[in-house]
Amino acid sequence: MRYVRILLIHFEDAIAERARNLVWFLIALINPLMLLLFWRGAILEKPEAYGQWNIPSIVSYYLLLIIAGAFLQVHIEEKIAYTDIQQGSLSNYLTKPFSYLLWNFFIELPYRVLQGSFGVIVFLIFFVLFGNIVSIASDPLILVLASVVIILGYLLSFFFKMILGISALWTTDFSGLVNLVEVVTLVFGGFIMPIHLYPVILQRISFALPFASMFYFPIIAISGKLVVVELFQVIAVQCIWLVSLGSIYQLAWRRGVRLFTAIGQ
Amino acid sequence: MGSIKSLVSRKYESVKAVDDISFDIAAGELVGFIGPNGAGKTTTLKCLSGLLWPTQGSVSVLGYTPFERKTAFLKQIALVMGQKNQLWWDLPAAETFLLNKEIYEIADDEYKKTRNELVDLLEVEHLLKIQVRKLSLGERMKMELIAALIHSPKVLFLDEPTIGLDVVMQKKMRDFIQEYNELKKSTILLTSHYMEDVRQLARRVIIIDHGKILYDGKLDQLVKKFAKHKVLSVVLETYVPPDKLKEVGELVEYNFPRAVIRVPRNASNVAAAQLLQKFPVDDLNIEEPDIEDIIRDVFTLSSKH
Repeated sequence: MRYVRILLIHFEDAIAERARNLVWFLIALINPLMLLLFWRGAILEKPEAYGQWNIPSIVSYYLLLIIAGAFLQVHIEEKIAYTDIQQGSLSNYLTKPFSYLLWNFFIELPYRVLQGSFGVIVFLIFFVLFGNIVSIASDPLILVLASVVIILGYLLSFFFKMILGISALWTTDFSGLVNLVEVVTLVFGGFIMPIHLYPVILQRISFALPFASMFYFPIIAISGKLVVVELFQVIAVQCIWLVSLGSIYQLAWRRGVRLFTAIGQ
Repeated sequence: MGSIKSLVSRKYESVKAVDDISFDIAAGELVGFIGPNGAGKTTTLKCLSGLLWPTQGSVSVLGYTPFERKTAFLKQIALVMGQKNQLWWDLPAAETFLLNKEIYEIADDEYKKTRNELVDLLEVEHLLKIQVRKLSLGERMKMELIAALIHSPKVLFLDEPTIGLDVVMQKKMRDFIQEYNELKKSTILLTSHYMEDVRQLARRVIIIDHGKILYDGKLDQLVKKFAKHKVLSVVLETYVPPDKLKEVGELVEYNFPRAVIRVPRNASNVAAAQLLQKFPVDDLNIEEPDIEDIIRDVFTLSSKH
């Protein structure tokens, strides 16, 4: 119950910043909508060139990408790097009897839920207006397994951004690293186009990295493009990544926190 | 050129922020740390509160090694930094108090009792439901203190608690800290640039500079130990040329009819007698030099060594 109460208090904070959240969401909305228009035109012109990807699946993909971008793409790294580490607010957390990891989890989750719900609203509007070209999985088992894939995708995204954030304990110029990671995430997380439409070599690289497990697989899982066996395979890969990223975080935190000097604070 | 060179070979320099300092603080004591910027006083506070790991030596607070940051230790301390805040900007401060109640696992009854006590002491009942962003700096600082004290810490580290506040609010904060120390018998370690904070609050002061302790003891003893001069404060009946007054001692200030003359401590009585005999004196006082001047002298002396 204690954790629920802590989470609810953080929800209040996110709701207090609802206008800012909406603006952030709207900015992030433009890119997928532009890509959706582009791909819709491309498929209409040459439908046979894109294999299983037709108008309904590509429309659903980009609409789900909007939700994934808002809900699954954790943005805790800049708060950790700039506010906590560089400006010294980490002192506040370190002198309190509560896990820094867990605290950031409770800070970030309400923002993701709030922005994700804006994405769901956009999806529902499209569903009501163009129901015949929007499709998601309907099999209950697929939906349950897809939900597991989404939760694991969120956790992976969270741990990855925590590691990225605390890397500021070693680096002085953090912004370059953030921009690099953003580009890599866009390409290998499926934000440009479905990874299955990439050349084979790029597909292999994408599936060897954790970004597809964070964003791409949750999207195609909920859109019904994976069968039960494939879903279990995705979950297994996500679990391996989760253990790896969790271990890296623990190791980096234990070593990095000794470097924190809270200079000038 | 420097930044281009640093791409190839980077030079690192080790600086000792705190060097070979030792002290004990008894339960319930209120100790003031004094020192110029970069003296090492905040670093000391950070070591004691578990933020920094000392490269050598040992630190023990309430029987715990601070940097291990054990839950039982963290539940008994609080660190307040005047330039940092833990309050949520967009929510009323009461929400941060509630969050800290959960973080510190405080029972409902105990939480209500402590909160009401602190709210009464700081007279902020009417501010509890106002967004933090709408509070003045002084009001925010009061709320920061409540948030930091809601778990009734046994040891309180205060780093520049009155920084940026106006004189009235500074006084209120000092009164509160003093009252809290007497009421709760908490151990308080305070750093401040304002001498008035230290003068009113700390019975014991630790003067630190270049990472070393220059003095550790009572504030009044500091005067006896370091003040090499006394100050003669004179009111003259008729004008006396400054050169004549300089024969008595160092003329620090002369704005007829008032003059301030600094004389060696052991010669103050002779100098006073000389003044009374030679000049038309209306009033004369022999005073201890200002505590700030003494501390400045201590720092000047330390930087020469």
